[in-house]
Amino acid sequence: MVTTIQPRYEFRIFGNDLEKFEEKIKDLCKEEMTRNMDSVYLLTPWKRKNNIKIRQGVMDIKNLEQEVNGLEQWNPVLIGEFPMRAEIIKTTVFPALGIESPIFEREEYSLKQFLKEVVSIDPDLSVAYVWKTRHAYSIGGCITETAEIKVNGTSVKTICIEAEDPEKVLEAKKMIGIDDKTENVNYPKALKRFMGLTQLPDEWNNINFYKIKLKKWQKKK
Amino acid sequence: MAKEKMTIGEVSKPRFEFRTFGRDFTEAAYLMSRLSGRVPEKVWERQSTETYIVSKTNDVNNTKIRDGKMDIKTFVQSVDGLEQWNPLMKGEFPIKAEILENEVFPAFKVEMPKLDKSEYTLEEFMAMVKSNPNLQAVTVEKERFGYMVNDTICEVANVFINGAMVVTINSESTEVDDIKKTISDIKLESVENINYLQAIKRITGMTDKKLAN
Repeated sequence: MVTTIQPRYEFRIFGNDLEKFEEKIKDLCKEEMTRNMDSVYLLTPWKRKNNIKIRQGVMDIKNLEQEVNGLEQWNPVLIGEFPMRAEIIKTTVFPALGIESPIFEREEYSLKQFLKEVVSIDPDLSVAYVWKTRHAYSIGGCITETAEIKVNGTSVKTICIEAEDPEKVLEAKKMIGIDDKTENVNYPKALKRFMGLTQLPDEWNNINFYKIKLKKWQKKK
Repeated sequence: MAKEKMTIGEVSKPRFEFRTFGRDFTEAAYLMSRLSGRVPEKVWERQSTETYIVSKTNDVNNTKIRDGKMDIKTFVQSVDGLEQWNPLMKGEFPIKAEILENEVFPAFKVEMPKLDKSEYTLEEFMAMVKSNPNLQAVTVEKERFGYMVNDTICEVANVFINGAMVVTINSESTEVDDIKKTISDIKLESVENINYLQAIKRITGMTDKKLAN
């Protein structure tokens, strides 16, 4: 069954040096909860207005409805859980990916079968395995999140502000201290950059090591 | 035969190498730093940005470009799980078409593109890489910390693959037994040897395998 919820406007950033924003968020409010979860993202090298992921065995597709003042409005559509019928994969998932659907040998696929027999053999498809530790906050009426994520084994951080009202998101951005020059980067865009599926912008191509204090091995834990 | 004295930054016989990649080698790195002998100040801390050219059809040649220079290493052999790599070619941009034809593209093991110029700039070469679906250019930024343990050249590094961070730790030497002792001393005996090429392929999703942790 396909269900929908109210689309939200979203602003998201990724980076290794987000400490000043994280500190500001902690100053503004208390953390509400921390959750660990893993997700599998399906990606193609082409620009698509979809965010397709499988989380805890459930597939959802977010469609980019519109962009307003640098914010993206995403409409999540729950596709269903695995095992999933080939017909749904054919008529919903592949059109969203924007690539031709293969011929399916099974009527129904477990997640493992889908990844092994459908995704991994398709040269147009890439998979990102993402493990997230998500910290939830509420700032100016917006769902706000900081997260440590692991993408195919690497580490990076992300911060997201989202709400149904775009004005609230813009206000929360200001409260956290994120300026107007900062690029809004959604998950598929970030993952494609990490995985080399799209070109890196210059600012992602110049790590300032002195800002990143990671030399923890120099003194024992 | 007497062992060759390893010196950081100097040319030696082809070295064997143990390297692995993961998110956390805190304990191994701590042990490495405590067991290390004196190392030249120039290798205490080094930073570099390189572009690796990864080929879907090749696991035996490792190509990287740094400061406009191309360096290809080729896999020679594996002894007791340690890998030996030898330099295959070194070149500088602009690079002659015949070098691309005879050395570089054969190392990628991909179809030869049509070369209609006598030499190519780095930008032109990167455009050829971009247009080939079997090749991928990957930005690798490194913050490396050098050590010397059991007369093996060692390092721990923060490595940013297209901006995402991973940690690598390694020991290399002409002497296999010295590396094995070092692996034992830093408690990485059961950890998989993962070279740069394999790590990048795993991180970029070309290979569906995990890193060491």
